[in-house]
Amino acid sequence: MLGYVLRRLLLTLPTLLLVALAVFTLMRLIPGDPVQLMLGDRADDAQVAEQRARMGLDAPLPLQFGRWLAAVAKGDLGQSITDQQPVLPLILERFRVSAVIVLVAVALATLLAVPAGLVAAWQQNRPVDLFIVLGATLLLSVPSFWLGLLLLLFFGLQLGWLPVVGYAPLSDGFAAGAAYLVLPIVTLTLIETGVLTRMARASAIEVQQLEYVTHARAKGVPEWRVLARHVLPNAFAPTLTLIGLVLGNLLGGIAVLETVFTLPGLGRLLVDAIYARDYPVVQGVLLFTATIYVLINLLVDLLYPLFDPRVSVQ
Amino acid sequence: MTRLLPAFLPGLLAAWLVALASPAVAQTLRVRLNADIRSTDPGVNRDANTDAVVLHVVEGLVALKEDTTVGPLLASKVDVSADGKTYTFSLRDGVKFHNGALLTADDVLWSWKRFMDPATNWRCLSEFDGRGLVKLLAVESPNPKTVVFRIDSPSALFLATMARMDCGGSGIVHRSSLGTDGKWVAPVGTGPFKLGEWKRGQAIELLRFDDYAARSEPMSGYTGAKKAEVERVRFMIIPDSAAAKAALYSNAVDIITDAPSSDFAELKARTDIKLDASPSMGLNALLLQTRDPLLKDVRIRRALALSLDTEELAASVSEGLSKRNNSAVPTTSPFYGAVQANGFKRDLAEAKRLLAAAGYSGQPIKLIANKRYGSTFDSAVLVQSMAQAAGLKIEIEVLDWATQLDKYGKGDYQLMSFTYSARLDPALNFEMLMGPKDKQPRKVWDNPDAQARLAVALDSPDRALRQSIFDDLHKRMLDEVPAIVFYNGIELAATRRNVAGYKGWPTGQPRLWNVRLQ
Repeated sequence: MLGYVLRRLLLTLPTLLLVALAVFTLMRLIPGDPVQLMLGDRADDAQVAEQRARMGLDAPLPLQFGRWLAAVAKGDLGQSITDQQPVLPLILERFRVSAVIVLVAVALATLLAVPAGLVAAWQQNRPVDLFIVLGATLLLSVPSFWLGLLLLLFFGLQLGWLPVVGYAPLSDGFAAGAAYLVLPIVTLTLIETGVLTRMARASAIEVQQLEYVTHARAKGVPEWRVLARHVLPNAFAPTLTLIGLVLGNLLGGIAVLETVFTLPGLGRLLVDAIYARDYPVVQGVLLFTATIYVLINLLVDLLYPLFDPRVSVQ
Repeated sequence: MTRLLPAFLPGLLAAWLVALASPAVAQTLRVRLNADIRSTDPGVNRDANTDAVVLHVVEGLVALKEDTTVGPLLASKVDVSADGKTYTFSLRDGVKFHNGALLTADDVLWSWKRFMDPATNWRCLSEFDGRGLVKLLAVESPNPKTVVFRIDSPSALFLATMARMDCGGSGIVHRSSLGTDGKWVAPVGTGPFKLGEWKRGQAIELLRFDDYAARSEPMSGYTGAKKAEVERVRFMIIPDSAAAKAALYSNAVDIITDAPSSDFAELKARTDIKLDASPSMGLNALLLQTRDPLLKDVRIRRALALSLDTEELAASVSEGLSKRNNSAVPTTSPFYGAVQANGFKRDLAEAKRLLAAAGYSGQPIKLIANKRYGSTFDSAVLVQSMAQAAGLKIEIEVLDWATQLDKYGKGDYQLMSFTYSARLDPALNFEMLMGPKDKQPRKVWDNPDAQARLAVALDSPDRALRQSIFDDLHKRMLDEVPAIVFYNGIELAATRRNVAGYKGWPTGQPRLWNVRLQ
């Protein structure tokens, strides 16, 4: 097992190097000069050139890449062009905000989606199934920003139950901090519930058709035990894979929701950095999210055999 | 006990009445910012949001007045020598920094030494080191209350440049603003507010400075009597306009200083919101690339200008809040007069005649706009539609702001719908438009003779001479059409009804002194 994990981790290095190269190149290919943006419409060419030299942006691109890579190898993701702050602490600070929302939302979505999918599969083509499928499809189809704004306007503005803007870290006070997270978590939970329910239902339907399930029912095993003991463990594995993909995706940032709910998360950091052509931040965030993605998928692969003994880590 | 109770009642009642009459306890004024600030170092790493916050904390020797002329702030008076090369600033008495230290000439010298050090990376260094406006020869202090600036040549814009917001107002800070390693920590200024806490990505909080030494004359721009009426100001970072509006409605925010014109009708209809619309000095314009193979023909440029109803365009894009201004001189400028009021009048017949004479046969002309500044896109759509009536085929290309700015800097466009931030002197407005394109491709108007005239306006303090030059340049611009200025824009501020004293002004920057919560 340890050997497998180490091999997988070693294999991530070339992947991450490719990601680093791709991100670096793509950012430099996009038109737009971070210095020009910084200095605005007043800046003349001499000022822009001087600032670029000061920031090392006038060096040949391979040299810039080499310098950046060498720094990354030492754990230094550079300094933000926008506010001159070190990138890594900035990323970690913003990641904490996004991670809380994503992890809680995905956990809640899983708790809702798996039973819903099971019930839908059990009651396939009956009213309950149709209702669950309809609900899941609706949630899948709704744009997250629209749902978020709707909830914000209703619960925040109309009823005044929850704050409309702002953020307070949980460390500053759980109750105060949690109030700002309720709406984004609920929004994300609803969206992801739709996604996961469909997958849970599909894999449960497939497993239900297998002989051992029919055999268990023929033996008179109570239905809840059939579902819990025989269907769920075998049907959950594909859903687990999807959860891993969803987590990896979302942990890279939920930019739209963070903008709607004014949360200082990783997604907003990335979007703002792209608009500002803040190369070190964009490169850092994308490298960071690629690493997270790889690690989560590794974790999913390690957990897979727990649900499907036919699959071994080797 | 029951006998004693009646004796206590009047006392209790009195205490209750006193409490009712007492000023409100610990108030926080919440203001929306659409993006985080870049730093707290005045004029160093900045943008408009940064200036908006920092200029509540620091003050310079001079500052902009309400009519965008320059008035003394930390100085009690400014004397200019006959040759225009020596400026003597007398400092006001009793001005304290936020750490309690009294302001002296030595602090001014220290701040200006820091500004002029290339390592500081002060944005306006090039204006004072001989590359731009003037060369600052010396900053001296003959006594603790006097500072003398000597420059190499007279300049009409020396004080105005000192007062520029993007220069941080040349804000004077105490040396304790730097750490022991010489790096910037936080501004210790003299403003009516001091820096409280900056939670990056979330909010910046300013605290009332109780020992602020206010000037005596009425508030005017960044000068005059400034009083921090609230204990705290919290600038809340809310990038999304819809979320900001929801925050205003739900009383999570007190002031939105930059409400979009498209929200005007909705905001006006609300009884819990007040509006303040102030004309700004920014320019919304259509830039024409005079080196383009098609647009180098002045007849085509004139045809485009004559195909547009700029009065209708200005009213439409600004939701009726702005009026047409085809001049580079803003309507709120003291130099705006009858000459500047004269502009383009739509004449489709003449436009068609010019196009035919130029041999234009429907070649597409690309017009670049962006959605970050919605007015540029809205203007572009109207330009396309109006110009079509004259037979001009215009295609709109929407880019993100960074890409558009890049193309602007390189002169890589045919037409560009652009918005210029406010310059507070007409000479600077013309200067941002004019210049040799070989060396400065971002300039739209390359006319050496006109540039020579502008150089005189930049140097001469003679008001009548400057007015005549601005009049001349305006007429030439209408004739040569390197750009078509549409209007100056409006700064629309929306405040909760319990906010009193907030007033916008042509620079568009918020002023949160003299503002109270009722």
